[in-house]
Amino acid sequence: MEDEDQQKTIDLIKELVHRLLSQNPKTPNPNPNPNPNPPDFDNSLRYAIRILSSKLAPSIAPDAAAVAESIKRRLATQGKSSQALSFADLYNKFASKTGPGSVNNKWAVLYLLKIISEDRKTARTGPGAALLLPNLGLGEPELSNGSRVPHGSKRGDKGWENGVLLVSKDPENLREIAFREFVNLVREENEVSEEVLVRDVLYACQGIDGKYVKFVANVDGYALLDTVNVPRATRIMIRKLCELGWLFRKVKEYISQSLDRFPTQDVGTVGQAFCAALQDELSEYYKLLAVLEAQSMNPIPMVSETASSPNYLSLRRLSVWFAEPMVKMRLMAVLVEKCKVLRGGAMAGAIHLHAQHGDPLVHEFMRSLLQRVCSPLFEMVRSWVLEGELEDIFSEFFIVSQPVKAESLWREGYRLHAGMLPSFISQSLAQRILRTGKSINFLRVCCDDRGWADTATEAAAAAGTTTRRGNLGYGETDALETLVDEAAKRIDKHLLDVIYTRYKFKEHCLAIKRYLLLGQGDFVQYLMDIVGPELSEPANTISSFQLAGLLESAIRSSNAQYDDPDILDRLRVKMMPHGSGDRGWDVFSLEYDARVPLDTVFTEAVMARYLRIFNFLWKLRRVEHALIGAWKTMKPNCVTSNSFTKLHGPVKLQLLSTLRRCQVLWDEMNHFVTNLQYYIMFEVLEVSWSNFSNELEAARDLDDLLAAHEKYLHSIVEKSLLGERSQPLYKSLFVLFDLILRFRSHADRLYEGIHELQSRTVTSSKSSHGRTQARRQKTDKSSESGLWVDDGRKALTQRAGEFLQNMGHELDALAKEFASLLEGFLSQLPVQQHIDLKFLLFRLDFTEFYSRSRPST
Amino acid sequence: MDPEATKTARESLDLAFHMSNLLDTGLDRHTLSVLIALCDLGLNPEALAAVVKELRREPTSPPPPPSPNAPSPAS
Repeated sequence: MEDEDQQKTIDLIKELVHRLLSQNPKTPNPNPNPNPNPPDFDNSLRYAIRILSSKLAPSIAPDAAAVAESIKRRLATQGKSSQALSFADLYNKFASKTGPGSVNNKWAVLYLLKIISEDRKTARTGPGAALLLPNLGLGEPELSNGSRVPHGSKRGDKGWENGVLLVSKDPENLREIAFREFVNLVREENEVSEEVLVRDVLYACQGIDGKYVKFVANVDGYALLDTVNVPRATRIMIRKLCELGWLFRKVKEYISQSLDRFPTQDVGTVGQAFCAALQDELSEYYKLLAVLEAQSMNPIPMVSETASSPNYLSLRRLSVWFAEPMVKMRLMAVLVEKCKVLRGGAMAGAIHLHAQHGDPLVHEFMRSLLQRVCSPLFEMVRSWVLEGELEDIFSEFFIVSQPVKAESLWREGYRLHAGMLPSFISQSLAQRILRTGKSINFLRVCCDDRGWADTATEAAAAAGTTTRRGNLGYGETDALETLVDEAAKRIDKHLLDVIYTRYKFKEHCLAIKRYLLLGQGDFVQYLMDIVGPELSEPANTISSFQLAGLLESAIRSSNAQYDDPDILDRLRVKMMPHGSGDRGWDVFSLEYDARVPLDTVFTEAVMARYLRIFNFLWKLRRVEHALIGAWKTMKPNCVTSNSFTKLHGPVKLQLLSTLRRCQVLWDEMNHFVTNLQYYIMFEVLEVSWSNFSNELEAARDLDDLLAAHEKYLHSIVEKSLLGERSQPLYKSLFVLFDLILRFRSHADRLYEGIHELQSRTVTSSKSSHGRTQARRQKTDKSSESGLWVDDGRKALTQRAGEFLQNMGHELDALAKEFASLLEGFLSQLPVQQHIDLKFLLFRLDFTEFYSRSRPST
Repeated sequence: MDPEATKTARESLDLAFHMSNLLDTGLDRHTLSVLIALCDLGLNPEALAAVVKELRREPTSPPPPPSPNAPSPAS
C-alpha cells in the first residue's frame, strides 16, 4: 500500500513536471524556449521532488471554509466584487460535492489555488512589470471585464501590446476610481452642493441668514432648512458648525445692548471695557471669516489638475478651522450670559472665576480679556490709594463713600462693598486699600494736612510705578499689592505722625487720664474741697458757671496750672441732666473737649464711657473724702479724752464703748475704701495706661490706634466693675458707698453731740449763762440732744445716756448692715470673670478676716 | 469506478478549474487534475505550489506570457 502510493505519487509528479515544462514552449512569447529536452526534464523532476520532500506539513491549519473566506476577501478588496461573488458560488458547489469520486482534500486544493494565484500576482507586479513600464501596473483586462473567460484575453492583449496607458484600470488606482464614483453619487444625492452649504455656514457664523441655513426660532439656533435634501450627517455637521453663529449672535447682542440701548450708568466703565474687549475679539473673528470666505471659492491646489478637484473649504475643513474660534466664542457667550446683570467689580470677579482654566488657550484669552476689563478698576484703586480720589461715577468700585460729618469720617465715611470686590483682590488687600485711601481723606478733611501728597509720590516711586494713569493691570496683583503696601506704609506713618506730633494725641490721652480719670491727685483734692459744699445743694440750684469758676481756681491752685493751656482749655464742667431730687453730687462731672481730628478717637460714645468712669471715680473719691472728713472729727485727742474724765461711771463707760464702736466701724470702712481705691488707681488705671502706651508705640495705623484705645477703655470699664456683667456688683458697691456716707453723717452727729455734752457739763457747772446759750442751741437744733438743757446735772447725765444709747444702736445697725453688704460684695467678687478682681479680693481680705468669719455668720 | 463517482469527479474538477481561472492561476485542466490527485495523496499544498512556481518561472524570465494561453483546450 505504501509502495503503491509512493509509486503513484512519483508518477503524478512526473506527469506534473512534464505538463508544466511542456507549457512553456507553447507560449506565443517572442522568445521561444528550447528547453523540453530530457536532461532538463530530469533536472526539473529532481528539483520538484526535492521541494516536495522538504516541506512535509503545511504552515496553516487545514480549514477549507477559512481559506475560501480569505480568497473571497482578497478579491473583494481588489475591487472585483462580482468575481468574489461567483467564487463564493463555486466554492459552495465544490464543497457540496461529497461521496466517492469527489475531491477529498478540498482545503488543500483551495489553498494550493490561492498560493499559486498569489505567486503569479507578485511575479507579475514584480521585476518583470518594472522592466516594462515602471510607473504603471500591467494591464490586466480580465480584471476589468469581471470574468476570466478565455476569449476576453484578446482585448487585454491588445491594450497591453499597444502601450495605451490605462491608468484607471490599474488595480492601485481602483481606490481612486471608487472615491470618484462615490463623489458623483453624493452629488446626485444632494440637491445642494457643498460649496453652497459652506458659504451659508460662513454667513450663519456672522449672524446672517443664508439661503439654506437660517435661524430657526423654535429650536433657538441655525439649522438647515428641512426642505433641503441632504444626508443626515451633513445636516448634523451644519448644526454643529452653526453653534458658532448662535454664540456670535449672543455676544453681539450683548455688546450692542450695552453700548447703545442701556443708559451708561447701568453699564459702567468696567462693562464698557468688557464690551470693547469683546468687540476686539469679534473683529479678530471677522478677519478669520473674511479669509475663510475668500478661500472658500478656491479649489484645493493639487498635483493632478483634474477638473473635479473640490473647493478648498469643505464642511469638514470648516469644522477644523472653527475649532479655536468656537472655544473662544463659547467662552465669550458664557461670560456675556454671566455678566448680563453684573457690574463693576462684581463683573470683573465673575470673569476672573472663568480665568482659572487649565487650557493654555483659554487661559491666555481670559488673561488678555481681563486685562482690559480690569483696567478701569485698577485705575480706581491707583487713584484711591495715591490720591484719595474716588473716581467712581457709576458706583462700580468696591469702596463706597457716604456723606458723613468729619468726626465719623474714619469710622463710617467709607466702607467696602463686598459685592463689588473682585475675587482676585483678597479681603485683606481690600482692607489695606480701603484704609490707605481713607487715611488720605482723613488727612485732607480732618487734619487739614497737605503733606500726604509728597508721601504718596514717594510711595509710588518706591513701588516702581508713577502716579500717572494706566500702568497697572490684571495679573499684576503683586505689583498692585506692593503699591498698596508702600502707599499704606507711608501714608499711615504720615497720618500717625500728624496725629502724634501736630495734634498731640498722647498728651490729650494723658490729660484725660489725669483729669477725667482723676489721676492728678492734688487737683482732685482741691476740686473736692472747693466744690463739695456747692454740690450738697439740690441740683437745680447749682449754676454751672459758678462751678466752672471753681474748677478754674482748683486748676490754678494745683499743679495742673503748669499744664499746656490748650489742654486746660478743653477741660469743662458738665452738668448732667437731672431730676428733681438730685443733689449736686449726682449731676456734676468733668468733660474733655476733643476737637477734630481727635474726635475720631474720642467719639461721643467714647466720651460717654469716660463719663461713666468719671462718675464712678468721683463717687469713690467723695466717699474717701467723706471718710477723711469723719476722721478729722473722730481723731482721739486731748480735748475729748479730758472731757470724759468729768463724766460719771456708767455714762462714761457707755460713751467710751460707743466711741470705740464708731472707730472700729470707721476703720473697717476705711480699709474697704482705701483698698478699693488702691485697686482702681494702681491695678486698673495705671496698668491699663501702661499697656495702652506700649500699644501706641507699636501702632502702625489709625485703626491700630483706635483698637488700642478701645482696648484701654474697655479694660478700665471692665475692671472697674462698670461692665455689663458686673452690674450687680456695681450696684452693691453703690449701696456700700451710700452706707458709708450715711455713717459719716451719723459719726458727725455723734461727735457733735459729744462736743455739746462736753460744753454742757462745763457750762452747767459754772453759771446759768449757759442756759440761754443752750436754749438758743435748742432752737437751733431740732435733734434730741437739745433737750437736755434745763434739767440739771442728773437729767443731763440721763439724756446723755439715752443719746449715747440711741447712737450706739444706730451704729450697731449700721455696722451690721455694712458687714452684711460687704460680705455680699466679697462673695460676689470671685464670681467675676476678670482675673484682676482676684487681686482686689486678696487685698481686701489680706488677713483672711472675712473669709474666716464668713462660715460662722 | 462506477459512473456516479466518475461524474462527481468530473464535476469537482470542473468547479476547481473554474475557481482556478477565477483566481488567475494560469493552470490548465490537466495540470490541475494532477495537482488535485497529489493533494488527495496528502502532499503539502505549499510544496506543490512552490513546485508549480519554480518550474514555471524557470524557463522564461517574464512569466506573464503563459497566462493568456493557459487555457489551451488541449486536455
